Amino acid sequence: INVCTQRSTRYLSAISAARGLHKSALDVAERPAPEETVTSSFGRFIQSIQPRHLSPTVLQRSKRMVLDSIGVGLLGSTTDVFELALQHCQHMYAPDDVSFVYGRQGVKLSPTLAAFVNGVAAHSMDFDDTWHPATHPSGAVLPALLAISDMFHNNSKPSGLDILTAFNVGIEIQGWLMRFSNEAHNIPKRFHPPSVVGTMGSAAACARLLSLDRNQCSNALAIAASLAGAPMANAATQSKPLHIGNASRLGLEAALLASRGLEASPLVLDAVPGVAGFSAFYEDYAPNPIASLEEHEHSFLIETQDIAFKRFPAHLGMHWIADAAAVVHKTLVGLKGGSVSPNLVQEILLRVPLSKYINRPFPETEHQARHSFQFNACTALLDGEVTVQSFHPEALQRPELLALLSRVRVEHPHDNPANFNIMYGEVEVTLVSGDVLRGRCDTFYGHWRNPLSQESLQKKFRSNAGAVLSNDRVERLIEAVEGLDHLDDCKPLLAQLQ
Amino acid sequence: MFYTYISSFAKFKIQMHPKCICAVDVLFTESFGAAVSSLNTSHLTDEVIRRSKRMILDTLGVGLLGTSTPVFNTVLQCSQVRMQALEDSKVWGRPGLSLPPQYAAFVNGVAVHSMDFDDTWHPATHPSGAVLPAVLALAETLPVKPSGLELLLAFNVGIEVQGRLLRFSKEAHNIPKRFHPPAVVGVMGSVAATAKLLGLSAAQSIAALAIACSSAGAPMANAATQTKPLHMGNAARGGLEATQLALLSLEGNTQILDLESGFGAFYPDYVPHPLAEVTPTSHYRWVLEDQNIAQKRFPAHLGMHWVADAAIEARAKFLDKCPNADLSQIKKITLRVPTSRYVDCPLPVSEHQARHSFQFNCCTALLDGEVTVESFSKSQMNRSALKEMLLKVQLENPQDNHSSFEKMYCEIAVETTQGEMFTARCNTFYGHWRKPLSHEDLVRKFRANASTVLRAEVVEGIIYTVDHLDTNQDCSMLWSYMHFNKHMMHRDERHSSALA
Repeated sequence: INVCTQRSTRYLSAISAARGLHKSALDVAERPAPEETVTSSFGRFIQSIQPRHLSPTVLQRSKRMVLDSIGVGLLGSTTDVFELALQHCQHMYAPDDVSFVYGRQGVKLSPTLAAFVNGVAAHSMDFDDTWHPATHPSGAVLPALLAISDMFHNNSKPSGLDILTAFNVGIEIQGWLMRFSNEAHNIPKRFHPPSVVGTMGSAAACARLLSLDRNQCSNALAIAASLAGAPMANAATQSKPLHIGNASRLGLEAALLASRGLEASPLVLDAVPGVAGFSAFYEDYAPNPIASLEEHEHSFLIETQDIAFKRFPAHLGMHWIADAAAVVHKTLVGLKGGSVSPNLVQEILLRVPLSKYINRPFPETEHQARHSFQFNACTALLDGEVTVQSFHPEALQRPELLALLSRVRVEHPHDNPANFNIMYGEVEVTLVSGDVLRGRCDTFYGHWRNPLSQESLQKKFRSNAGAVLSNDRVERLIEAVEGLDHLDDCKPLLAQLQ
Repeated sequence: MFYTYISSFAKFKIQMHPKCICAVDVLFTESFGAAVSSLNTSHLTDEVIRRSKRMILDTLGVGLLGTSTPVFNTVLQCSQVRMQALEDSKVWGRPGLSLPPQYAAFVNGVAVHSMDFDDTWHPATHPSGAVLPAVLALAETLPVKPSGLELLLAFNVGIEVQGRLLRFSKEAHNIPKRFHPPAVVGVMGSVAATAKLLGLSAAQSIAALAIACSSAGAPMANAATQTKPLHMGNAARGGLEATQLALLSLEGNTQILDLESGFGAFYPDYVPHPLAEVTPTSHYRWVLEDQNIAQKRFPAHLGMHWVADAAIEARAKFLDKCPNADLSQIKKITLRVPTSRYVDCPLPVSEHQARHSFQFNCCTALLDGEVTVESFSKSQMNRSALKEMLLKVQLENPQDNHSSFEKMYCEIAVETTQGEMFTARCNTFYGHWRKPLSHEDLVRKFRANASTVLRAEVVEGIIYTVDHLDTNQDCSMLWSYMHFNKHMMHRDERHSSALA
């Protein structure tokens, strides 16, 4: 430290002047190698990535994500929480704005508020995509991008590829950030990941679509970091969808602020001891710069790590246990015929990972039910499947369901960690007759190891979007997204959503 | 029957705090919700009223001054895009310009913290800037305006909640490293204050607290940058928005303050306590009563104030001994300060960095005998004498100098080329809670700040209104006064007659 002041003053002041660095940051600057900071490497990446960098796999996978996300958003526009968020925004702001709102033909809001309500819609039923490490990446990014697209004049709308590029930037940044900590690889306990990396992803994607320069891109990320982070306790409550809504909105705000010249920490993604930046959200944080596109072929994470699309609107963990319980259901129905009667069941044992916020013996609200191993197991045991309707109020209160719920025991085997890449679900039903039936699921259909077929994905979309749009529009949306990379102008996509 | 028994047993188990096996009926969040909704004006003591009026005056002044900063202009431009509500609130220092209340709270909150001139408390946070802009923006939109006492009550509830929350962790007692406190507790203060003003029930207050919590938290790395003031603005905005959402019946986790995965997510050592029960006639012990606040004499991080006072004293000793001495005779300056990386900046380039630099504030105080608003201007920052002196400063972090605004000190040792040594030490700077600014000096600070933007009559009008806040039934002139700007044309003539 003393050595610093004795060095040539010109060196010191040049470096300081160029970067305006705190002493702690000077340590970073003194590394001999090309000292690009992690933060600036991200800024540079966002600005310099081009459509041609998107491989066919990346294009294909991300189009599937776009389709699914729009569909869940449209369905989500029928929820109470969505209606509430929309009323809030409309009370506060005049209705004559530019960006569309899912499922509300003719209704418009300002871009940031449209991003907010549409993000809420996307996550309102916990029906949106899930990645590994764990987060819901698309709902934080797509609403903001579509909201911005509405902002552009009709004659200068972004092309489909522009949107896909920006979308992938938003996803990619989230994937990178999550790989900076081991903690991120497990089912979260402290901060809800979409509120942490989702905000950053949205900022990155918006910065890209708005064509900000690399410094502005870095600043957008840094500003977004100050808008990130919501605690897990609000998961399984009505407020959870707002985490995604806010991630989308605030990421967009950050990009807009950066475009007007607002500056923030140039080291927000770097690990600076004593001054936490993005590292504030993790116990263990070890960042790496993204290599320059000029020297290095960039491989998008989605290419090697696919994403999970849900078959029913509940926390991802529920899908394992539902599939396991469905196996038992089939056997039971096979044995006795007809429907499953609770009177046959003596005890139900679930073997699931240890995770407090999805272990709920008697959920009282739909939000809790979507986060309850017990509820999803019993529903699948009774009905053979879990669907959108399984979470309706009448379904929640079924006497036969409640009867089964009171017979459930839960175990947390050591070999079943709270990790979406490794976990499994096991259901063991002891009948009054003494017979024991077992079902196990290691990889549910829809998981990245066993992805939904294109037919299944489109079926889900038709069912969701069809809840609020005419069949015509539904089909045109499918077509528009399918051909997104060939659209010179995204109007065909936007038109179906207005 | 059986099911009901099972479900109430299960409810019992689910609601138990993980760390607390026996106190199942003592839910901290619930106590907060109850307190926020039950505290009333009769609980305000004289001392609390006095102290909070000082805070309000100081905050308004720094806010007005802050409306002249670039960061304020940036956020204002951003907020104006397509924003227009059914009920708008006035933007400070911008006659004729109103925004939806959350956005008014946002930009005005940014103004308050834009120059790091606002109040500081212990445990460390800047409590008023997160609360006052939200309370005033909201009050303005109400069909029946609150009385001055009601405003004071809401304000104090917002301060109180922050004080209580900060006491739930040891980490909060030291100069922060991870999350910027106004972004953590500030939004909770804002939501509590606005919930109070709107008369939310205990249950709604709990929902509001939970919703607000999902907007809390910004990392320290953005301190000392242009983005830092947004932490304050967003705290004010987020709290107000949370209250509005709670009114629309949005719900969150009813145990948000009890859980490690709730508000506890922001601290590694989180141990919450319930607030005492509040009855209409009980005496309430406010944190502000036991723990006064620091108000700054110049716009820089609090730690800089110890350095400045010590440097001023050393300078006086130096000039006393050698009346015509040239300060360039100083060979070396040693500063003994606590360890705090984000205020250790040997060669600041931006004004934001300068406000967070032990070295800069030391040298400015040595050169000028004071640190002022002007000290952070470009011309002052670029002085060659200052830049030369900066190279002579060395920091030391003695073991006994704790990174806490309650315990830290600053020692300075100035060595001259003649071999002489002048030392001074500051334990408690003037303006610290242990040595608060006199009323005259506080008002003088307000006048200096407010006059950059307002005419003298308006300045005096605000002083008078705040001074009589607890006895005034109608305080709407407060936000009208804040809406003036002597440098800008009034578009609406009705503004002038508001004074009549």
